[in-house]
Amino acid sequence: MRRIIGTWVAVLLSLALLAAGCGDDGGDSGTTPTDPPDDSSEGADLPEDNTGEGLEGEQLTSAGEGGDSGDLEPQYGGTLKWALNRDGTGFDTTGAVAPGSIRLINAMNDSLVGVTREGEWVPNLAESLTPSDDFLTWTITLRPGVTFHDGEPVDAAAVSANLNAFKAGPVVGFAFKPFVEAVAADELTVEVTMSEPWAAFPFSLQGQPGWMVSPETIGNNDTFVGTGPFMLENWETGTGATVVAYPDYWRDGFPYLDAIEFTFVPEQDVRRLAFEGEDVDGYNSPGDTDILDFLDDDEVDVWIGDAAGNEMAYILNTSVEPFTDVRVRRALAYAVDRQVIVDTFRSGLTIPASGPLAPDSRWYAETDYPGYDPEMAKALIDEVEAETGPISFEISSEAGASFIEVTELVMDFWRDAGVDVSIKDVALGQSAATNISGAYQAFAWIQFSSIDPDGDYTFFHSGSGPLNWSRLQNDKIDEGLDIGRTSDDPEERLRGYTLFQEGLAEDVPIVWIDHFAGIEANVARPYVHGIEEAILPDGQEAFAMVAGSFMGWGDIWIEQ
Amino acid sequence: MLMIVLRRVPRLLFVVVAVTLLTFILLELTPGDPATLKAGLAGTPEVVEELREELGLNDHLLVRYKDWAVDALQGDFGESVVYEDVSVSSRIRSALPKTLETMILAELMAFAIAIPLAIRSAQKPGGWVDRWSSAGSFGLLALPSFVLGIYMIFIFGVKLDWFPTISSDLPGLFDDPAGNLRGYFLPSLTLALNLLAVYVRLLRTDLIETLQQDYVMLAQARGIGTRRIMWRHVLRPSSLNTLTAAGLNVGGLIGGAFIIEVMFSYQGMGRILIEAVFGNDYFMVAGIVAILSVGYVLVNFVVDILYSVLDPRIRTVDA
Repeated sequence: MRRIIGTWVAVLLSLALLAAGCGDDGGDSGTTPTDPPDDSSEGADLPEDNTGEGLEGEQLTSAGEGGDSGDLEPQYGGTLKWALNRDGTGFDTTGAVAPGSIRLINAMNDSLVGVTREGEWVPNLAESLTPSDDFLTWTITLRPGVTFHDGEPVDAAAVSANLNAFKAGPVVGFAFKPFVEAVAADELTVEVTMSEPWAAFPFSLQGQPGWMVSPETIGNNDTFVGTGPFMLENWETGTGATVVAYPDYWRDGFPYLDAIEFTFVPEQDVRRLAFEGEDVDGYNSPGDTDILDFLDDDEVDVWIGDAAGNEMAYILNTSVEPFTDVRVRRALAYAVDRQVIVDTFRSGLTIPASGPLAPDSRWYAETDYPGYDPEMAKALIDEVEAETGPISFEISSEAGASFIEVTELVMDFWRDAGVDVSIKDVALGQSAATNISGAYQAFAWIQFSSIDPDGDYTFFHSGSGPLNWSRLQNDKIDEGLDIGRTSDDPEERLRGYTLFQEGLAEDVPIVWIDHFAGIEANVARPYVHGIEEAILPDGQEAFAMVAGSFMGWGDIWIEQ
Repeated sequence: MLMIVLRRVPRLLFVVVAVTLLTFILLELTPGDPATLKAGLAGTPEVVEELREELGLNDHLLVRYKDWAVDALQGDFGESVVYEDVSVSSRIRSALPKTLETMILAELMAFAIAIPLAIRSAQKPGGWVDRWSSAGSFGLLALPSFVLGIYMIFIFGVKLDWFPTISSDLPGLFDDPAGNLRGYFLPSLTLALNLLAVYVRLLRTDLIETLQQDYVMLAQARGIGTRRIMWRHVLRPSSLNTLTAAGLNVGGLIGGAFIIEVMFSYQGMGRILIEAVFGNDYFMVAGIVAILSVGYVLVNFVVDILYSVLDPRIRTVDA
């Protein structure tokens, strides 16, 4: 009898293990490295108070309050262990820099310009930037005594070399279209000349064009010799990187940490386990279910960025069939119920998008972008097919979960409207190259996280060559972008960007899905402080996190 | 012994050539172009064509294979098309020791647990050890390694905090043996659990059969102790099937190691192969597949040799 019972206990235990292993815990599906963010997941129950409008643009702790280190004095020392969702492919500032590399660079870099939380540019590494009255010349004055991590001076020659090298970059140079050249007027003064007025030029220097590296390392993909609070100690491809405090950092009192150890953990579930096992102090791209879980956890802080986030969208190549016809483009936009996608794949944490600017952006404008109307979608498709025959196309998409899951649902919406659509695989990390080559009809994309809309000029303006993703020629869009670029009057710029958004909504070169701001987050232990801060040299606050990337690693400290 | 080795070498070479050539053919059928990938954003048609010439991509498949094979014999597997200035050889050199250590530790753990368990089960068939080990084996065989891995990480890494949850950036085995082995313990154990389930079942069955042989009864009648009989006279001839399984399992072990490396987040051969496949990193895929196929064939080659070491009858037949 005992033998029979013992046998059945063993069998039942095995079955229980098997059932547990195969059961769905409602957690994330895990992801592979893709363009940021790779944190789409299976749907989870919405929070009770979720109205489908996404979390507000705040930086939250698990208690729902913002910032918990206000009364504490920063402490020096310690090594922060941080898990990143992906590795980079190198540090060449004159080429396309992978998102993983950007996260590392943010710890080692000071851009020439910073942007305040009010959206105004201020000098950062540079001491001042002064335009001529016609915005055809900019004078950059540098701070004395600043050095690169190799001890070389950050002087006018170094800055000019960096700016000129960026302009010479075969593709990234398109983003610097008005820039002609930078010349060292004296040891600490750089004169930049433009071919056309560029009032928004300083905003570009907050991003990649403004990353300054030691001149001897310009174009070097293996290292980043910058000016930031940390310097690269080692980088093992696919494994991790360690940065250590730069002892001669030009900003007194920073950084607080001795070092940061980055570990690359592409799988979201593994990042979470590493965090819960206390092998890391925090990690990025937690995904919607992790965010919801940790918001209820007093032992975890959740930091959700309040600056410009990325958008997910489907770029339509308007220079090839069937997307030369605006009716087809509008039909595809009408066909997609974006709220269903937000509810299904983002746990309601994001906001449906109708353009590249989120509603909380100071430049946002209401437009007549097509809302969900499947009947209208079908009617338009029927109208076009009556003239041209069946409509079919391919969507180029990487294999990462953040693209594929959503793309398959979007394809279902489009098939319901009457089009025939299939997926064309793109190798991981090759979307940009595919887009530039023009060898696509539609592609899945995540981008447009510039703090200032001028940062996205290149990707929408008809004069941008291959970087005009949709290849659309639209005078309204061009006019609006040009106004925003050439004027420093906020009202005039708003008028320009309103035209820009209206042009996008009318011609629909892009089918927008959602704004990612609600899920571009980081989680950390409560003893990690300063995450909410990124203090600029003049004492103003910058956005601490942009598109899920920390901007102020120098401000972070660990409670000892 | 020399004849055994000499007879098997041509087979080894044939398998390696067949596998690597097939890999080349499959890569040829994969969408995408290595030159375009390598050129990246600077990929104007002129640049791409120049790269195609440089990489020999305009040559016939067999010519390319021949050139690749000649370079591979000298340890040069080409360069990654995804990572700039990164040779395939350097990545393999960095990743291979991690995978090898995981696999070797997994096999050692599996045998260390399976052999005593199988012996005990064979000595008392139907006893509680035998029944529990059988049930446990079925359970472990039913569980995929990634599920086991999750449990391992959760229980021993998160809840008990006995072992690290991720095994990236571990010290070298000779630099810090304790730290190294602690880091590889969970991944290796996860792999070992699937293996030992097979080994216990196979070895137990063979041991029971061998124990019924006349010479075993004769040894018992002569008063030789049970332990000596088991370890010296029974275990060796009973090991052939288990050894065969161990050799064949190397393939499964490699596949399992891939999953484990992803779960425990370290850059072994499996993880870089997966990344290379997703990234269409052709030369990386070809190089890794070549190394893995050579390794697999060599292991089974060694297994063949070990047969004759374990069983003199095979030595005589082969001679």
